[in-house]
Amino acid sequence: MIDIVVQALVNGLVSGTLLAVPAIGFTAMFAVLRFPNFAVSGIATLGAFAGYLAYGAGLQMAGSLVVAFVVAGAAGLLFDEVAHLPMVKQGALPAAIASIASGLVLENLVRLGFGNDPRGYDRPIARDIRLGDIRVSPQQLETMGLALALMLAVFAILAFTRIGKAMRASADNPDLASLKGIRPERIAMIASFAGMGLVGVGGMLLGLDSAIDPLTGTRILLSIFAAAVLGGLGSVPGAVLGAFLIGMAEELSVLAVGSQYRAAVGFVAILAMLTLRPRGLLGERAY
Amino acid sequence: MTKTFRIGRRAALAGGVAALASPAVVRAQADPIKLATLTPLTGAGGPYGPVMAKAAASVVEEVNKAGGVNGRRVVLVSEDDQTNPEAGVRAARKLIDVDKVSAIMGTWASSVTTAVAPLCWESKTFLCTVSGADSITLLPHQGYLVRTQPNSKLQVMRVGEFMLSLGVKKVFTMIPQTPFTQSTFDTLNAVLPKGGATHQSLIYDDKKTTYRTEVDQALRASPDLLLAGGYTPDSVVLLKDLYRAGFKGKVVGFAYSINQKLVDQVGQNEIVEGVYTFAPSSAEGSTAYDKVKAAVGSANPDPYTCQVYDHASMVLMAMAIAKDSSGTAIKDNIRKVTQGGGKTVDNAVDGIKAIAAGEKIDYTGASGPCDFDEKGDILDCKFRYEQIKAGKFTVVKIA
Repeated sequence: MIDIVVQALVNGLVSGTLLAVPAIGFTAMFAVLRFPNFAVSGIATLGAFAGYLAYGAGLQMAGSLVVAFVVAGAAGLLFDEVAHLPMVKQGALPAAIASIASGLVLENLVRLGFGNDPRGYDRPIARDIRLGDIRVSPQQLETMGLALALMLAVFAILAFTRIGKAMRASADNPDLASLKGIRPERIAMIASFAGMGLVGVGGMLLGLDSAIDPLTGTRILLSIFAAAVLGGLGSVPGAVLGAFLIGMAEELSVLAVGSQYRAAVGFVAILAMLTLRPRGLLGERAY
Repeated sequence: MTKTFRIGRRAALAGGVAALASPAVVRAQADPIKLATLTPLTGAGGPYGPVMAKAAASVVEEVNKAGGVNGRRVVLVSEDDQTNPEAGVRAARKLIDVDKVSAIMGTWASSVTTAVAPLCWESKTFLCTVSGADSITLLPHQGYLVRTQPNSKLQVMRVGEFMLSLGVKKVFTMIPQTPFTQSTFDTLNAVLPKGGATHQSLIYDDKKTTYRTEVDQALRASPDLLLAGGYTPDSVVLLKDLYRAGFKGKVVGFAYSINQKLVDQVGQNEIVEGVYTFAPSSAEGSTAYDKVKAAVGSANPDPYTCQVYDHASMVLMAMAIAKDSSGTAIKDNIRKVTQGGGKTVDNAVDGIKAIAAGEKIDYTGASGPCDFDEKGDILDCKFRYEQIKAGKFTVVKIA
């Protein structure tokens, strides 16, 4: 029994790493733009398909991820500028609702272009490597490595670059930041682009191992949101922690209560967190 | 609505012309018997409906040529349900209230059948359907409904027997939450132990992007056969994860999910090599099936076309045996022509002749034996089993 639990934790660690990428994007956007952008469902799908096309056209994995990032980022920026940011002035809720609509629009645009059939990245599938009783997939290790590298890059940018510092300042106190000459509109645009870019990359990373279809992003929306809420909305390290916890909890739930209740894990996590510790595990610290 | 009316008028007109063109002896007889097809000529079922209507029309034409039923000519009205319950109900109302048909045949989508069925049993109009949802025969239809499509219980029973025929001892089912998940478990738990095999199962969430933990859990039971009961997108992920985990046993799945699209999508033949699929099949090779081929001019008519050919044949023979053409007469007599032994017939003309000669008949149709239980479900039909070899589906057997 213990081996299957360890195996489930390992599986959860892998899926948590992949989940962390879009969760960072989601929480970073929340930190700066002050509304939960549920268009991540459609953007993740869009990124997955953009990466799929790039990979199919002969680009390497890293190049395809860049394409996914740019396409998803550009689409995210467009939707924010056109649909969401005008609504933020009315409050976070109208903007959040608008973003749900954007997600549906994007999902159906992808459906219009690609149909409902699932597609897979043309990537050879290898048997797992066994380390004692525990098995890991070489490809998942590769995907996990890409996700970890990406996360380190995000942390480095936030910690050491001018743009990163400006984003943190703007998230911390927009008025004070603008007094210091930081232009909030520009920071908002950068947050939209980079945040959604990460979401797009996350969609592609999650699709690499399985399959993609117009509902790819919708399937992971709840997990992304739960990870961000668990870690504390607006906190980037929190989102990473939340993603690992959600990833592992979802896998363990398969053993404990059965896979059909996986969706409940996300809801229970959100409910428990909002009831007991609304700030999230790490609190809202935007870096 | 105007469109459906126009078709109705045209059909009625054609009937009128046919009546005038018929020999005087036929024209002189009582009013014609009216039957209807309500098939999807447009919408999602559009590829099937027109051929289905054609198959029913061919049966009616043959019977009319041979002198009709009970000395009366038969007129077939064809309506379009647009694969839409609302349009289906409008068309059914027209068929029942205006055309006063005795039977409606060929409803395709389960949603349409579910909506149309109450109109039928309340007006004592007989309904023959090809819809598959288990819930349909559970409606309080008072006997005014039969369906020729196997329900999921029959399908699972037959796949259970097929798995046993592969000589397996430990079967594990992985299936998402669907309306037929519980009945699948119940049926397999009953069928498999009879053949000396054990059965374990797991319900998975079809929205997950990986099934590693689920696969681990299944493989702990060290099954020698895994039944993959999901739809195409989740089956892709499941089959990949089974391969990664090094599963060496057999895999069986539904043909509607494990199809060429899935094979193309997985993109690596060794992952799907040897996977078995199964699907309900028409009675290919039977004499009735050959008649349908000739009637619709196709080398491999689809199962629905075969089923509606059987609908028309059964309904006409039931009228003949009842010497009455009402919906209630069909309801009370349909099982007398479809089951219970007697001379085997494969078409309505021969059946009606035999009935006139006082013989007992047992109709065996193009879709299968056409034997019904008291709820209106078929008791058996043929299934088609295939296996993937080098990325291509090859027929194992039709049985």
